[in-house]
Amino acid sequence: MKRVPLAWYNLRHDRTRLGVAIAGVTFAVLLMFMNLGFLGALVDTTTNFYNQFNGDLFLLSPESLEISTTKAFPRERLYQAAGIEGVERVMPLYAEYALWKNPETGVSRAIFVYGFNPNDPVFLMPELQEPDGLRALRQPNTTFIDQRSRPEFGPQTIGLETEADRRQITVVGQYSLGGGFAADGTLIMSDQNFRRYFDPRPLEQINLGLVLLEPGANPQRIKAVIDRRLPTDVNVYTKAEVIQRESIYWIRTTSIGFIFSLGVLVSFIVGTVIVYQILYTDIQDHLREYATLKAIGYSSKYLFTVVLQEAVILSLMGYVPGLILALGLYELALNATAGTLPMKMTFFRVVFVLGLTILMCSFSGLISVRKATTADPAEVFA
Amino acid sequence: MRTPLALLNLIHDRKKFLTSLAGVAFAVLLMFLFNGFKNALYDSQTQLLEKFNGEIVIINRLKENMFVPRSFARRRLYQARAFDGVEAAFAVYTSDARWKNPETKQTRPVRVIAYNPSEPVLPTADILAHRDDLTMLNTALIDRRARAEVGPREAGIITELADREIRIVGTFSLGTDFAAGNGNLIMSDQNFLRYFAFRGPEEDERSFATVDLGLLKVAPGTNVQQLVQTLREQLPQDILVLSKDGPDGFVMRERQYWEENTNIGFVFSLLTTMGFVVGIILVYQILYTDVADHWSEYATLKAMGYDNLFLFGVVMQEAIILSVLGFIPGFLVSAMFYNLAAGVTGLIFRMTLERVVSIYIMTFIMCLVSGAIAVRKVQATDPAEVFGL
Repeated sequence: MKRVPLAWYNLRHDRTRLGVAIAGVTFAVLLMFMNLGFLGALVDTTTNFYNQFNGDLFLLSPESLEISTTKAFPRERLYQAAGIEGVERVMPLYAEYALWKNPETGVSRAIFVYGFNPNDPVFLMPELQEPDGLRALRQPNTTFIDQRSRPEFGPQTIGLETEADRRQITVVGQYSLGGGFAADGTLIMSDQNFRRYFDPRPLEQINLGLVLLEPGANPQRIKAVIDRRLPTDVNVYTKAEVIQRESIYWIRTTSIGFIFSLGVLVSFIVGTVIVYQILYTDIQDHLREYATLKAIGYSSKYLFTVVLQEAVILSLMGYVPGLILALGLYELALNATAGTLPMKMTFFRVVFVLGLTILMCSFSGLISVRKATTADPAEVFA
Repeated sequence: MRTPLALLNLIHDRKKFLTSLAGVAFAVLLMFLFNGFKNALYDSQTQLLEKFNGEIVIINRLKENMFVPRSFARRRLYQARAFDGVEAAFAVYTSDARWKNPETKQTRPVRVIAYNPSEPVLPTADILAHRDDLTMLNTALIDRRARAEVGPREAGIITELADREIRIVGTFSLGTDFAAGNGNLIMSDQNFLRYFAFRGPEEDERSFATVDLGLLKVAPGTNVQQLVQTLREQLPQDILVLSKDGPDGFVMRERQYWEENTNIGFVFSLLTTMGFVVGIILVYQILYTDVADHWSEYATLKAMGYDNLFLFGVVMQEAIILSVLGFIPGFLVSAMFYNLAAGVTGLIFRMTLERVVSIYIMTFIMCLVSGAIAVRKVQATDPAEVFGL
């Protein structure tokens, strides 16, 4: 004989109440998704550009916090790494802020500048692979500009002439990279031009070292060798590690991680309260029935299971619309912020929030179930 | 006396009533929290600027916000001092420098604010108390509200700033912002020169020739706006003269920069709205349950001749009672969360009357909306139907 799905019938009994309960769980789920989504988007924007850097290993000063707060280190370290077996090529990267003058309004704004040797394949963007573009970059006072720079920098067309750090500059190309949290816009120029704009800064001090490995080389093994051979004024990271390191920096040591984690926590608590209210009311309303079940021999464990089942059903029924709404709101947020907040749903987040939702509902179930299990038939019917 | 039906309905089941209050309180907390984060992120950007002593501020025209390290010629400040109505002109120097956490030995960038200690640039009691200590060689005050990453924040610490020894002789209270994410130090202009005059080629070298912020103290009774206008017309165009306060002032300009150039407003307004919607659902759930439980009582009332308006009144009263009683614990818990968040992040969380009132109004509307939805059910009550079961 098929078991009566009591939990489901209990929930379905009052449709309106079920609808409200689902709406409650949905919104708790949605809130968690949004908080995590905002956090994820902020962290993504801070590390996205690393995917366009052509390096297997990265050298950084231990005092560097993230890409815009780096401490320069001697270029010799890079050459030392070049001598290690398995290393195919090493490439220095320079980074600094400059003031870019909007040619239309005359207002200057801080822009983040990368300097690299045009003979090195430092960047993976297609625009930086074309020989014509690279030739133009080798001319004095020229630069490529990021198409994803904020509109406040003014027109960003090729051929545009303006000033950077009070020196004439010509835009000779465009690319798409994104500046992350620390920069509203970026430029890429040759190391020789970098030297011109940031005089007297010498090219012997570099901000980031990129290491390309020979095909088939084991990055972890070579990383260990470089680590051993080089002095302690540089650290070696794989690409995944350097991205992780900066994400952790933004999450842990700036306010954003704390803010959105607290947002998730409070959403979780609110969800718990909502579900508790539903289950509590349900138990209250069916106290007689629960007592009857007990009187006819069902154990407390059975009642316990029923309430937990209700909790899990609620969590699933609330989760699905929550997920769908979240996807819609992610899209909305992406459009509303003109692409500056890249909200992406990740598989991990889908699973993580599902886990939190089930936990949240079960937790409420556990608190509210005590009432049902202590139902004493004698008392209820007295 | 009229029976307070709404209240009696609500407190009928004490436990349910408490849960209801908790529900409203949490919706209130959500709104307070997200709104608070938004305000904290904005307020923190300007709290240092608000503390500066002076009515008029001079900056480099290119210094669009505090993040931009552009200074202007100090002689502009002397030129400004010659104008009628200007009583004093203070030079403020700022620079970022690496601070070594004395415990972990890790370095973090902090912002150094420097000025002549004999001038009342930041006239708060804790800073003024250490005026003489600051004149000593290689000394500074540290912000008690700097982030924990900088290590202990107390007098007596000896560590390194920009690879040079520094001794902390006192503390002050400020907090973090986007330009000083970890915290601030205050030192004398003489010491500032010691740390920042001779840095490596990859760093900017500083001297007294250029100033980051100029503060003008105006004689009592002077028309500040007019003086700003005069200074703008008469001084060279490489600087920007702004009144400190007011809608076009320096403080508002900084706030507007962050409002217009970040997604803070969008993110937290969206989250606050969602808190509001969650609140509607929560309160609706409470009122609906109440209506469902007292179904036959409501029908009886109707049968006795009470009209829909009366029942509407009862449910609305319940909504209002819930909004008031739920708001109080929500507000108290939020205040606790504000304290916690302020301690961890170093941001400033201000609970102003205006903000409290606006959140209460949102709570009130939230309860009203839920009440209006829930009440339809009561109004549709047909005594014949209820008792016909």
